[in-house]
Amino acid sequence: MRRLLSVLTRVLLTLLSHYRRHIAQTLFLAIGLVTGVGLWSAVQIINDHARASYSEADQLLGAQASHWVRARDGAGIDPADYIALRRDGFTQLYPILETRLAVNDEPLWLIATDLLALPRSESPLGASGGDWPSLVQPPYQTWYPPDLAADFGIGPGDTLMLDDGRQLPPAALQQQPQQGRRLFMDIGAALAVLQRDHFSYLGVGELSSAETDRLRRALPNHLQLVDNRQRLDLTQLTASLHSHLTAMSLLAFAVGLFIVFNAVRFALHLRRPTLHTLRELGASSRMLSVAVLLEALVWSALGTLGGLAAGRALATLLLPPVASSLQSLYGAVVGTDIQLGWARILLAWGITLVGLLLALAWPLWREAQQNIRQARSASDDWAADRQARRWLALFGLLLAVAALMLHSRMSTVTQGFVVLGLSLFAAAFVLPVWLASALRLVERCLPEPAWKLRWALRDAWAQLPQVRVAMMALLLALTANLGVETLVGSFRSALTIWLDQRLAADLYIQDDSLRLAAFTDHGAAPWLVASHQRNGVQIRWSGRPTLIRGLNTNAPDSRALPLADANEHLQDWFDGDNDWVLANEQVHHLAGVELGDRVQVDTAQGPQAFRIAGFFHDYGSPYFQLYLPYATVERLWPNASPEGLALWLSDAPDAEQQAESALLAAGAQPGDWLNQNTIKRVSLRIFDRTFAITTAMNGLTLSVAGIALLAALLALHQQRLSHYAHWRALGVRYREWLLIVALPLALLVALTGLAALPLGALLSSLLVHDLNVHAFGWTMPLQWQWPPALRLAALTAAVLGLTLLISLWQVRRRLPLALKQLGEDDA
Amino acid sequence: MLELTDVHKHFQQADGAVRVLDGLSTSLAPGRSAALLGESGSGKSTLLHLIAGLDSADSGRIVLDGTDTSAFKDADWAAWRRDKLSLIFQNYHLVPTLTVADNLALQARLAGRFDGDFYDHLVARLGLSDLLKRLPHQLSGGQQQRVAIGRALLHRPALVLADEPTGNLDERSSAAVMALLTELVREAGASLLMVTHSPAMAAHLDERWQLTNGRLETAA
Amino acid sequence: MRYARLLIIALISHAVADDYQLLRADPSGYPRAVPNPAIEFPTDHLPHPDFRIEWWYLTANLTDADGESWGLQWTLFRQAMTPNADPGGWASKQVWMAHAALSTPTGHRYAERFARGGIGQAGVALNDTGDFNAWLDDWQWTGTAGSLFPGTLDLAFDAINLDITLNSTTPWVLQGEAGYHQKSDLGQASHYYSQPHIQIDGELTVDGETFTVSGPGWLDREWSSQPLAPNQPGWDWFSLHLNDGSALMVYQLRNDNGEPWINGTWVDADGRSQSLERGAIELTAESFTTLTLPTGEQKTLPLDWTLRLPDRNHSWRITALRPDSWLSTLFPYWEGPVVAQSQNPATPGGMGYLELTGY
Repeated sequence: MRRLLSVLTRVLLTLLSHYRRHIAQTLFLAIGLVTGVGLWSAVQIINDHARASYSEADQLLGAQASHWVRARDGAGIDPADYIALRRDGFTQLYPILETRLAVNDEPLWLIATDLLALPRSESPLGASGGDWPSLVQPPYQTWYPPDLAADFGIGPGDTLMLDDGRQLPPAALQQQPQQGRRLFMDIGAALAVLQRDHFSYLGVGELSSAETDRLRRALPNHLQLVDNRQRLDLTQLTASLHSHLTAMSLLAFAVGLFIVFNAVRFALHLRRPTLHTLRELGASSRMLSVAVLLEALVWSALGTLGGLAAGRALATLLLPPVASSLQSLYGAVVGTDIQLGWARILLAWGITLVGLLLALAWPLWREAQQNIRQARSASDDWAADRQARRWLALFGLLLAVAALMLHSRMSTVTQGFVVLGLSLFAAAFVLPVWLASALRLVERCLPEPAWKLRWALRDAWAQLPQVRVAMMALLLALTANLGVETLVGSFRSALTIWLDQRLAADLYIQDDSLRLAAFTDHGAAPWLVASHQRNGVQIRWSGRPTLIRGLNTNAPDSRALPLADANEHLQDWFDGDNDWVLANEQVHHLAGVELGDRVQVDTAQGPQAFRIAGFFHDYGSPYFQLYLPYATVERLWPNASPEGLALWLSDAPDAEQQAESALLAAGAQPGDWLNQNTIKRVSLRIFDRTFAITTAMNGLTLSVAGIALLAALLALHQQRLSHYAHWRALGVRYREWLLIVALPLALLVALTGLAALPLGALLSSLLVHDLNVHAFGWTMPLQWQWPPALRLAALTAAVLGLTLLISLWQVRRRLPLALKQLGEDDA
Repeated sequence: MLELTDVHKHFQQADGAVRVLDGLSTSLAPGRSAALLGESGSGKSTLLHLIAGLDSADSGRIVLDGTDTSAFKDADWAAWRRDKLSLIFQNYHLVPTLTVADNLALQARLAGRFDGDFYDHLVARLGLSDLLKRLPHQLSGGQQQRVAIGRALLHRPALVLADEPTGNLDERSSAAVMALLTELVREAGASLLMVTHSPAMAAHLDERWQLTNGRLETAA
Repeated sequence: MRYARLLIIALISHAVADDYQLLRADPSGYPRAVPNPAIEFPTDHLPHPDFRIEWWYLTANLTDADGESWGLQWTLFRQAMTPNADPGGWASKQVWMAHAALSTPTGHRYAERFARGGIGQAGVALNDTGDFNAWLDDWQWTGTAGSLFPGTLDLAFDAINLDITLNSTTPWVLQGEAGYHQKSDLGQASHYYSQPHIQIDGELTVDGETFTVSGPGWLDREWSSQPLAPNQPGWDWFSLHLNDGSALMVYQLRNDNGEPWINGTWVDADGRSQSLERGAIELTAESFTTLTLPTGEQKTLPLDWTLRLPDRNHSWRITALRPDSWLSTLFPYWEGPVVAQSQNPATPGGMGYLELTGY
């Protein structure tokens, strides 16, 4: 046994010595592993982190938050009510002021509380870590999480100027539990600095059911106790987003695996003599297999470690935009301190190992086959390659059939991604056959005298077996890029149009306690053309948070609602018929409700049924939403609060100015209203940030494909160096060599790119028409745009040029030696 | 055609420097053929490499077709090989992706001297008429070497260098290929320097050069 | 005295190394305790917001219908975070802290609360009807007009509900020189007065079970800006209700490098008091008890003492009723009921409270 082990060790060391001698290949193998694992784990880390944050969503700044106390009219909590409740013994209550600020139109969230009142398990101030007296006493402090401070270029002691002209207190780099990417202030300081006199709401720590009942009874009429279901809701609402990210990371991992596959195959190929020698020296083929597997184990461990390190670094870079999207879209508080758990490390290792074994299996099998037929001739190679292409294509077709079958019965996001993955890989596997067929066709079209072109084209056949895998990786990367770019482009243009329709009014009042009558003369003013006061209440329906909105059905923006679908009863709804409601299309796609269906919702008067007259687009919202007439909402949900007052201004040039003066005169603060353009700008910025990670992942995937191509080319050229020496001996000039080598490669890349166009369109169609609908319930027209495709083509050409340049340089460097050795292998 | 004067070449090896060519001098007149004989490792191939510019001598003068090569750059050598020289190797080294026709025409096309009539003539002489559309791996060794010979002669080189051209062929094909080679070289008006270890093959040629201890002994 | 009680101010970052550092902190900028002006009522029952620290400190030895012993402690602390002017409201510089502890026949339960000043969540003031009121959230002491007595105390914490009345008829005992109370040779001092004769009656509900209790209580009022000298690590403080109706307060401020500062007051049943100076008190720790706290930390404490007043020929052996009376609050300390056993036929036995800090 010991002898066996020592022989095995010797064999393993002999095998591994290869990597010392072929640094470039070693590097590529490592890069393939590290980038693949890195991209995958970066997303996993982000997902884990976000999910961990959701599971803390029943916590607020380190305190339990099982309920909220909110004002029924949306006006916030009077501090006097809070003190009265505290003095009534409800010491689990704590005041929260939460608000969105803007700095250079960039949204920024602030949360404030009274640390002394916070029912944390630990000592109240010991845990806060900061300088409490400075926090609560003028000039106060603003506590920034370090990454947020870095984003805004804020250092300790700096003050941030808000868009409304207010100055935040000096910064301290400090953070509280569950602060996320929010600013933290003492609530007294926040009231003073933001000139507020009400809290946003009260957090409620853990209460027994008896205490909960007592609290419910003790609350004054204008306040209500609301369950905190964020923990459940966030996990549910964000699931689709995280599946999206996971799918993209798996794609990146697969593309990384292509590099690994190529590198492993090449490493085995180069070591064939070593393997034979070892066998001649008495190492059994089983022992060799074990040694190769051990080698895979070593590589997987190295790849995992490197990949996780890279992934962690990447996650740190990508988390802030993801966190801020989660905050914008779902109100999820996600901090940016990353933890890497053991489970994740082991999983990364496991998937790397599986990936490596997959990459090894085929070359090893081929190697075993070749031992049988040692005498290998060129014709075998050609035939084998042709056969390999056919097998791949067959497998690809099987995948395509599977994708097609699954597509017809697809109903969940995960299934959607499986279909997507199957389609992509089917395409990748069919690619070699497509390339070969296209080559043959082009060849046939060449005129007889074009011998150089013909030679170049014919050379493609020599390159194809080597660059096949790289081309497959490139196809995946290009397709993903095109598909996602199209999705993002379609979504962005749909969103822009939607915002234009949806945000028809000129001013939107943010402060829900501000009434039209307060700043106009009974709702009339010379600068005012129309107004629309809505009300709303949040309920649960069909397992999801659902927003009930009361509209003036005749308001200009109600009339112009961007509808996805409607039936003939739309007019009834406009006429204020209580029977009919409009629902957002999420209700249709996620809850399976059809036009004309009855939906039953809980009201203060008991369950009430409505019928659907139409579905409207509601991009960006994870909730269900029902539009009813204002009065109906007021009647059925007495606790509904005014939400959102929209104002249409006259054409007078100073109308906006007059409106603002009127608002200020009525006691509104700058920032209590927003104009249409600001909202659009901010919305689109949030949108762009949300897709920043997508773009980043796509770019990275493409560069991984570029690396795969480079690795393949370098290996190819190293193998073909003696051929090139012979060409040179025939008098081939370098530019001729370049033409012969580069043209077919460019052609292969171009053919791959060409294949990526319809595939990208297919992918985007899957994403837009299936996945997006299943994931978010949003539909939009697919908009194919050429600029991204052209950009991508230019980028690919640049990548190709670069890899060619590098490989040309390599060949020139090595050619003299190859020339000296010309004919030596003949003996 | 070929004039070598006091050519030295050594290789560094683990056990010290090996002088492969040690003051070698010789010449070959245009149209003449010579067999280069010698033991394994005596430097026959090295000499061929030096003449083709695939390797460089330590010292000495190599004059090719009246041109002193000592000032030749890499590109000059490439041009020389393309225009004036042909190399024939034991393993044929056809371009595997090109048809017989394209392989045959390759060097002539590179040199810009493709002559259709001569091409047809060579195809006929080499007996390749039926094989023109085939790929090299579909040919026998003898057939491949005939393609290599055709490729080497179509551009009418001044000098043909052959390194064991029949080394991979059986005796019968060897003789046939050898006969064709010498005959066609003569027809093309080229000089021929051929490395061989076979006296039988050497007998086909005008001169026999014996390489011993880095120098040549010439036998008529 | 009972600086003990200052425990407040964790809030202040200096307090990290030594829980009681605040009490020794440089008082510059704050007013200092001085012999004049004299104590005045009801003004001095109310806060002295410029002084750094202040407290209202009640302890009581109660007995239920079955004769079981209970101990009650309620303390309200005020601290000013800075010597600067107080902006008031949400920006107030005042911080309030309260401790409630109940020594039951089977254990010791306590709670700690904090509140900022200026917002009405905590404070000491005359309420709308002009009655004395000291509160933090729903814990509160309500007196009658400007006086603390007759008064009621309502506490609720940890499944304990306490509703008691407090009565006292004897005059306030002004400690030291008419309420100016020196704490060291270095001039550390406070304003300090007490009421050792409080009759307490009321009801306790613990885990749903109600007990009717009564017994004597003791209230200390003290405010200062630096009550401890830098070399005083802590103190041992006794308040005893003796069976003949008199009361006794004795404390020693331990000294890192010398004799403790020892002092006391004898109060007879009518409320007349007499200071006990250094030579008149002999205080000896007889044995030490090691407690293991819930955190696993161990504390070795003197819970067994001999106290002699040689001039009066009195001698007591004073032992803790329940050793387990450690409060792991922001400022941790031991406080619990004790039994004073007479060691001398002429000496009345009694009950009382012991406070140990700086251990």
